[in-house]
Order: sequence, then structure tokens, then C-alpha cells
Amino acid sequence: MKIPFLSIMRREFFYMWKDRGLRFILLLGPILGLLLFYGIYSTQVVKNIPTAIIDLDHSSDSREVVNDLANIDYLKIAAYPDTYQELEKMVQSGQVAVGVVIPENYGRDLGSKKGARILAIIDGSNTIYATNANNAILGVSRTINARAGIKTLIAGGLTTAEATDAYQRINFEQEAWFNPTLNYAYFMVLAFALNVWQHCCMLASTMNFTGETKFPSWLQLKASGYPLNRLFLSKSITHVAVFITILIPIYVLAFGVFKFPLACNIAVLFLFSLVFILSIHSLGTFISTLALNAVDATRFGMIIAVPSFVISGYVWPIEAMPGVLQLLAWVLPQTWFFQGFNYLVFKNPGFNYMLPYFAVLAGVAVLFYLLTAMVISIKERC
Amino acid sequence: MTIKTALHIAYYELRHIWKNPILFLIVFLAPTVYGIFFGAVYCHAVLAEIPLGIVDLDHSGISRELTAAFSNDPYFKIVPDVSSYQELEEAMHTGKVRAGIVIPEQFEKKVQHNRQTEVLNVYDASNLIWGLNTRKNAMEVINKFNNQYTVEYLSGAGLNTQESLRIVNAVEANVVSWYNPTNSYPTYIVIGLMMMLLQQLGLMSSGLTVTREKENNTWLHFVSSGVAWPKIVLGKCLPYFLANFLNYTLVACVAFEIGGAKMEGNIGLFLTMGIVYDLVITFMGFVISLLAEQSLQVTRYLTLLSLPIFIMSGYTWPSTHIPGFINALASIFPSTWMMKAERIITVKGLGINYLGTNILVLLSMAGASLLIAFLYPHIERRLPV
Repeated sequence: MKIPFLSIMRREFFYMWKDRGLRFILLLGPILGLLLFYGIYSTQVVKNIPTAIIDLDHSSDSREVVNDLANIDYLKIAAYPDTYQELEKMVQSGQVAVGVVIPENYGRDLGSKKGARILAIIDGSNTIYATNANNAILGVSRTINARAGIKTLIAGGLTTAEATDAYQRINFEQEAWFNPTLNYAYFMVLAFALNVWQHCCMLASTMNFTGETKFPSWLQLKASGYPLNRLFLSKSITHVAVFITILIPIYVLAFGVFKFPLACNIAVLFLFSLVFILSIHSLGTFISTLALNAVDATRFGMIIAVPSFVISGYVWPIEAMPGVLQLLAWVLPQTWFFQGFNYLVFKNPGFNYMLPYFAVLAGVAVLFYLLTAMVISIKERC
Repeated sequence: MTIKTALHIAYYELRHIWKNPILFLIVFLAPTVYGIFFGAVYCHAVLAEIPLGIVDLDHSGISRELTAAFSNDPYFKIVPDVSSYQELEEAMHTGKVRAGIVIPEQFEKKVQHNRQTEVLNVYDASNLIWGLNTRKNAMEVINKFNNQYTVEYLSGAGLNTQESLRIVNAVEANVVSWYNPTNSYPTYIVIGLMMMLLQQLGLMSSGLTVTREKENNTWLHFVSSGVAWPKIVLGKCLPYFLANFLNYTLVACVAFEIGGAKMEGNIGLFLTMGIVYDLVITFMGFVISLLAEQSLQVTRYLTLLSLPIFIMSGYTWPSTHIPGFINALASIFPSTWMMKAERIITVKGLGINYLGTNILVLLSMAGASLLIAFLYPHIERRLPV
């Protein structure tokens, strides 16, 4: 019996559409994920960190410090508590993330031998707050210190130019490359959405074999003598076509509407995503041939897909992981994809550099499709 | 008699878990195994040895001192073979270095002649963990170096070293990071990840208890057996409650011992919160199981929702920077409240008086879930067929 290739593909598409849950997950999962993550990171950078200041000095110098702090984008003065105990409670309860204490006699100590002190307390329990606040405080303390030093030098007889020169002789310019505004949305949103996308694709792929065998038509198909490898090839083409199609609105939204940066050509990114999804599909299909039923296949797929993003080193750098875990990370196709994705989106290091990433993902796809074909052949013979 | 029937059902459920290897894996092994994985990912705690390329176009004494300032800092590791701006650019593009310092020509000459000169510090912000850590650490090295040179300048202008130091440190800003002074990532993230893990795996375990019966056509036997409905609910939930609590303690051990997470608070309070969280997860999972049509549906949605629930919880990206409607959405998930409560206990070391809202919300969630579970037969009868 001859069954045209296209008919199988049409049939597969029909089955995917008929599965209400799968249809919902594939069509809406990644898009909803993208919109949700975009919403979460809509402020893009951590500015306006709630800050409390206690000015126990009430001098013109201390007011100058308060003004300096109020003028930093990263901090937002949310409260002026009267006592240290009040400030302590505010930090403990999370009302403010930064507390600055300007002690009594700050103005008097400024020109004295003793020198003046300022205490800055940062709530370190959330590192995103802490790192940004720390950078802001370091920057402002440098300015305050330099200004005080310059004033002292002028009072000591130096000219303004000489005094300024003492502090600004070596000017260090800090420049963030690839993401100059340190925008969290650029870094996180699309990667998270693609992680949801790869989960969805893995879910659908794990149904490739188990989904087919649950239908009564499975026996008919087997009895018809239609080569099973050909059957699964046509099913797989349909899957991959669907997976890559659902990526189009995600990339259009991300790069076209949200204006996320893209260093490489969109066609290259698309090609890279295609190679990746082939590797994910091959892995999912292979799992599908080994599992007893659809639920088990889904669970197996998720055992790999769920932790893969954390281990991929996209957020916490792979170089900072223990050696064994680094090895394990590089076994997963997700690591190659998310690392390569970061390079393509932010840096575009060129064809030669990206070649291993393409090659490994393609290799994974070939390996698992071959293994799948082997398992299917064995099952066919049995 | 009442307890005995519920215990019989619990025993039957436990045997079922034992006989199904995949279910056994999810209920008893997955939380600890995942916990070990996630704990190990962050076990190095802070980013040290950031690969740094130094382009020294001056090759002078001062430029070598600046190079030494960075090479002596434990946070940086100098990568050799980066000697020009082009090489630095290429190394930054390929990830060979994550930061760079460019010391211009005539650097020393300008410094000695009291003319301004500029040193460029670039850092890779394509990964913000690298970016922000590099910026902070570089700024600290730069501040130290700058101070040293200001002191030398002032000494040259006739001031003695002590006076110079006093002027340079005119305002000493003492920056203290409370709760996590080293910005350790395990302290920051591991316990939250573990709570997320426990919620999703816990919901998936008890979330399959009824769907499995429905799929095996045995659910009808249960409901028509004449056993009081509350006994069925409690009997079905008991094994998952015990397993979840066991997992909570195991995962906590993993987080604190392997993951390097901090435990500053009261252990009794920590365990009490575990019981409350366990109640919510178990009963909520049971309700999901009652409402879901098939096991596949439960498995799919719960795994897909893990990342969005974690990110919107405000545990990593602060709630103050998340729009209100997303915060409202996040508040319907127990993990949002639990993660924040765990941070208060384990990281901040604070007591029950800071946890009132969290405990109240979690207990309400557990109560509401149990109520829905108990009233489900009545609700089901009223539902349109």
C-alpha cells in the first residue's frame, strides 16, 4: 500500500491540532511566555532602589550628601527615618533596600584630622538589588570623597585646578560592551521565552512515537507494510515545521516590536534555531521510542528539559560551575544553543567561531535520529 | 475506625507509588537529585578569576603597577596574548576575556607631568552576572589605585603621607552589605529554587493521584465504595504529605550542605513553615488532580509553568520593579509567599513576627484547597455536564 508522504504530514498536523492541550501549549505557550517575561522586566534596569537616609547632622555638608544620593538614578529616597532603629526595621522588613546614615558632626569632621564617615547599609538578600546599589554607592562615595578632598586642598592653599587635578589625573572610563545600558530585559526576556519554546517542543516531540502507537490505526499502519522510518520521517518534518513556524511571531515581537538588540543576521539566528530544534526533536523522538506511554515520555523529556536552562550557563556562567557539571552541561544541546544564542544576539563573533555550535547541534540531531531509527527497526522486527 | 480507613487508602496509595518506578522517582528521588544539581551549579558562590585582558600601550612603571593591581586582585585573572585593542575586541567577542583595560601611550609621562590621562575599562555586559560583577570589582581596584596616586601627588606637593591619606579619605564611606556580605549566589538563589522545585514536583505527585485512578477506571470504585469522602481525601493525601515533608528536609540539607545556602534562622520555624507549605502543596495538588482530565495534562502544564512562576515571584527580579498585575498573578502561587518567607528565615535570620502575612496566606491557601477538596462531590454535582 502506498501512502503519500504529504498525506502523512497532513494527518500529523491534523492530530497535533486535534490535541487541544498540545495545540494550546504550542500556539500560546511561547508567546504568552514572551509577553509575561517582557512585562516582568518592563522596567529593564534596576533603578529607583528604595533608599532611606538618616541625616543626624543637618548641616549644609550633610544636605549636600543627601542631594547627591537623591540625584542618582539608581536610588530613590523613600524615607527619612529619625533613628537607626527605624532604619534597621525598614531594611529588615524589606521596605527599603539601602540605608544611609550621615552621623552627627559630619560637617565638622569633614575638615578635621579625624575625617568624616558615612555608613551605607545594603540589603544583600537580593543580589540584583545589592549589586546595583553597591555600584551606585561606590560611585557616589567617590564623588563625595573627591569633593571633600578638593575643598580641603583649596583651603590648604592649592588652586582649584591643582586640587582638581590631584583627583582627576587618571580618569577611568568604564564602558559596558554588547549591552551598554545593562538592560535586564535584553538579557533575560527572549532567552526565557525560548526556554519555554524548547520545553513546548520537547513536550510535543516526546509524543512522536508514543502518540502514534496509542491510535488504533497503528496496527493498520504496521500491517500495511508502510516503512515505519518513512512514516516517522514525515511526522518529524511536520513537527519541526510547526516548531519553527511558532518561532516566527516570537522573533518578530522580540526584534521588531520590542526592539531587542540583534548583532547577527536574523536569517543566521533562524538557521541556528532550526538546527537546535532538530536536535531537541531528535532527542524527544528518541525518548518517545523508549517510553511505555505518553505520560512517561513527557516526564522523561521534562527531566532533561527543566534543569537544562539553569545548567546551560546562560545566567550563572558555566565557567563558575564545578568541573563535573561543566562536562554534563556541554552534553546537553540546550547549553550549545543558549551559549550560541548569546553570542549571536549580542556579539556576532563570525562564522568560524559559531561553526562548532552549529556542528554539535547538527551532530546531536543526526545521532538521535539514527538511534531512533535503530530502535524503530528493532521494534518493527519484533 | 475513621483513621483506619484513611490509613488503608494511604497504604494503597503508597504501594502504588512504590510499584510505579517513574512515580517513585518523582515523589521520592527527583527533588533531592534536582536539589543536588541546582546546589552544585551555584556552589562556587561568587565569580572569581574574571578573565581580563590588559592592553598596555605604554609599557611604563605606572602601567605595570596598574596591571599588578588587577593581577593581585582575586576577582581577576589576567589573560596573556591580548596586546592590542583589536585583539581585545576579538577576545571580548569570542568570550576569551570578559573585561579589558586599555592603558594609553604616554600614560606615565602624562601622570608625571600632571596632565590628565584616561584609562579605559571595558566589560562584557552580554551576560549581566559577568557584567555587574566585573564593573563592581573593577571599580574597587580602580578606586584603590586612584587613591594611591592621589596620595603620591599630594606628597609631591609637599604634604606628608599622613596628611595626604587624611585628605584622600576625607569621607570614609563604610558600605555594609547585610545578610549576604559577599553577594554569594547560593545564599541569594538556591533556597528559592528549592522551594520552586518542591512546589512543582509536589503538585505533580499529588496532582496525579486521582487522574491515574480515572485513567485506570478505578476512580468509580473509590467514590461508590461507601467510604466517607473526607477519608478518601485524607487517605490519598497522607503519603504525599509525608513524602513532601521528607523532601523538604532533604532538599534543605542539600541546599545548606552542598549548595552553600545560608541558614541564619530558627530551625523550628523553618520546619513549621515546611509543614504549612507542605499542606498547601498536597491539598492543592489533590484539587488539581480532581479537576484535571488526564495525567498528561497535569504533567505538561506543571512543568511548563515552573520558570514563569519562579521569575514572576519577585524572588530574583524585585517585585518593586514588576507591574502590579503580574505581582497580583504571582500572589496566587504558594511558592511566591514561601520563597519570600524562606529568605526572611534563612538569609535574614528574622523571627515569626516578620512572617505573619506569609503564614496567613499559605494557611488560607491550604484551607481553601482542603475545603474545595471536601466539597468537591457537591460542586461536581452542580457543574453542567
